[in-house]
Amino acid sequence: MTETGTVVERHDIVVIGGGPAGLAAALGARRAGIDDVLLIERDRVLGGILNQCIHDGFGLFLYKETISGPEYAERLAEDAAREGVIFHTGAMVLDLSPDRVLRVNAADGYRLVRAGAVILAMGCRERTRDMIGIPGTRPAGIFTAGSAQNMVNLHNLKIGREAVILGSGDVGLIMARRLTFEGIKVRGVFEILPWPSGLERNVRQCLQDFGIPLELSSTVVDIRGRDRVSSVIVARVDGSSRPIPGSEREIACDTLLFSVGLIPENELSKRAGVVLSPLTGGAVVDETLMTGVPGVFSCGNVLHIHDVADWASFEGFEAGRRAAEFVRGRRSGAETVEVRVGENIRYVLPQIVRRGASGVTLNFRVRRPMRSVAVEVREAASDRILTRVKLYRLIPSEMRQIRIPTSVEDALEIVAHE
Amino acid sequence: MNERLTCVLCPIGCLIETVRRGDDLEVRGNECPKGVDFAVQEILHPKRNLSASVPLKGTASRMVSVRLSQSVPRDLIFPILDAIAVLRPEAPVRRGQILIADVLGSGADVVATRTIKP
Ligand SMILES: Cc1cc2nc3c(=O)[nH]c(=O)nc-3n(C[C@H](O)[C@H](O)[C@H](O)COP(=O)(O)OP(=O)(O)OC[C@H]3O[C@@H](n4cnc5c(N)ncnc54)[C@H](O)[C@@H]3O)c2cc1C
Ligand code: SF4
Repeated sequence: MTETGTVVERHDIVVIGGGPAGLAAALGARRAGIDDVLLIERDRVLGGILNQCIHDGFGLFLYKETISGPEYAERLAEDAAREGVIFHTGAMVLDLSPDRVLRVNAADGYRLVRAGAVILAMGCRERTRDMIGIPGTRPAGIFTAGSAQNMVNLHNLKIGREAVILGSGDVGLIMARRLTFEGIKVRGVFEILPWPSGLERNVRQCLQDFGIPLELSSTVVDIRGRDRVSSVIVARVDGSSRPIPGSEREIACDTLLFSVGLIPENELSKRAGVVLSPLTGGAVVDETLMTGVPGVFSCGNVLHIHDVADWASFEGFEAGRRAAEFVRGRRSGAETVEVRVGENIRYVLPQIVRRGASGVTLNFRVRRPMRSVAVEVREAASDRILTRVKLYRLIPSEMRQIRIPTSVEDALEIVAHE
Repeated sequence: MNERLTCVLCPIGCLIETVRRGDDLEVRGNECPKGVDFAVQEILHPKRNLSASVPLKGTASRMVSVRLSQSVPRDLIFPILDAIAVLRPEAPVRRGQILIADVLGSGADVVATRTIKP
C-alpha cells in the first residue's frame, strides 16, 4: 500500500517518542542485540517532559544520585547515541497501522516506515479546565501547570503576579514553589480530594516551606475577570465532591493554574487498533508490555502515568528487550488470563498474563491512603493466594509492585485490605 | 509551634508530631529513636536543594537551568536565588559546569544542568 512519491524505509524496531521511556526502550532493544533501532521524536531535542522539569529529584534508582530533569534527559540521550540508536528528531508520527506501518512527517518530507516491532512511548498530556467543567468567563491568565512550567523554565516568560493553583498533583506543587522563586505570590492550592494527590515530600518542600496554604476537600467553582483573571471563587466540597452551598469565598489573583491530572496520549495507539483500559487510559498489555496488536509494545506515561521517571525508564528497557524477542521470533504462547482489580485497588498492570508465565511483576495503585495493609494476589476461581505482602503504608500517589513467584495458570485478582 | 511530618528514614513512615519551644523539640509518634533525629534535622535545621533557570548572555529567552551541587540550610534559599538571578552564562555551557563556586559561602556550587553548544 505504498503511495506514489513517498519513501519507504524499513527498520527492525521503531520507537515513537524520545522521553525517558522511549530512550530506554531504544537502549533496551540495542542491548538485546538488535542493530537497527530507530527512535522518532517530534521535538528538536530528546528528553521529553524532563527538559522542563529543572528541579532535582530524578534518577535515584537509575543513576544512584538525584539530578534534575534536563541532566537525566541528556545522560540517557548520550547513552542512546553512544550505543548506536538511530534518531529522527523534528519528525512526527501521524499514523500507525495495525501491520506496523508508520506515516512520518519530517522537515525533509513525508515518509512511510515499516517496522518489525513498534514501541509506543508518546507520554501524556494534561487534563484541562474543559475536561473538568468549571464555569465562568474565559479571561487570560489560565494555564495548565505543565504549560506554565514550560513558559517559565524554557521561555523566561513572567506569567502573572498572584496565583491560585487548582489540584495538588506533583506538577502543581512543583510549580507553586517555582512561582514563589520567581516572585509570584501563590495564594493557595485547592484539592477536591481529602488527601493531596502529589507526593508528601513535595507538599512539604514546595508548600509548607513557603507557608503556602493547601486546602483539601475544596475546589474552584467560578472564575471571574474580563480580559484577565481578577479572582476565583473557592468552596469546600462534601463527601461526594459537591460544593457545599454557603462555603464560597473569593480570592483575588490574576493567574490560575490547573494541576488536575495527566492523561496518556493514545491517539496513535487507537489508530493502530490498540485496546485501551478505562482504568489507566493506556493500552491493555500482557506481562511483556505487548498490546493487543501483535508487535506493538507500550511503555512510560503513554501506558500509565508514572510519578517517578526511573519507573518509566525501567519499563522502557523492558519493552525494548521484549520487542527484540518479538522481532527474533522468540515469543511463545498466545493464550492469556486476566488480572482483575479487587478491593481497594485502583488499577493493575499488566492487565493480562500469558498462561504459564512465571516471575511476573504486577504494578498497582490503591484507591485511598491506607496503613498496615496486606496486598494479596490470588487465583480468582479458587481463591488460592499466590503471594501476599504486608506494607506499613500505601498512598494513591505511589505506584507499588508485587512479584508472583509461581507460574500463572488462571485468572488472578489483586486486593488490598487493612 | 506544632508540626506533623512523616519520617522517611524507613518504610514504616511514622507520623511524627512535634511541638517546638524555642530550640527544644518535643517529638511523638516515632516508633524508633531515628525518628527523633529525623524530626530535629527537618524542623530545626532543614536543608534544601534549589533550581532555577536563567537566560544565556545576549539572549532574552535561551535558558540555562541550574541547581546546587548539594543542599543548603533552608534560610539561604532566597539569598542564593538573588545571586542566581543576575547570572548570564556565556555559551558554550557544559552540563555540570560551575557557574558560581561556593555560593554565599554555603559550600555549595551553582552548576549548570544543561549543555548549550556554541
Ligand atoms: C511536570 C512534571 C514533573 C515531574 N517531576 C518528577 C520528579 O520530580 N521526579 C521524577 O522521578 N519524575 C517526575 N515526573 C515524572 C516523569 O517526568 C515522567 O514519568 C516521565 O518523564 C515520563 O516519560 P515518558 O518518556 O513516558 O514521556 P515524555 O517525557 O512525555 O516523552 C514523550 C515524548 O514523545 C514525543 N511524542 C509524542 N507523540 C509523538 C508523535 N506522534 N511523534 C513523535 N514524537 C511524539 C513527545 O514529544 C515527547 O518527547 C514529572 C512529570 C511531569 C509531567
Ligand atoms: S521513626 Fe523509626 S520506625 Fe518510624 S519511620 Fe522513622 S526510622 Fe522508621
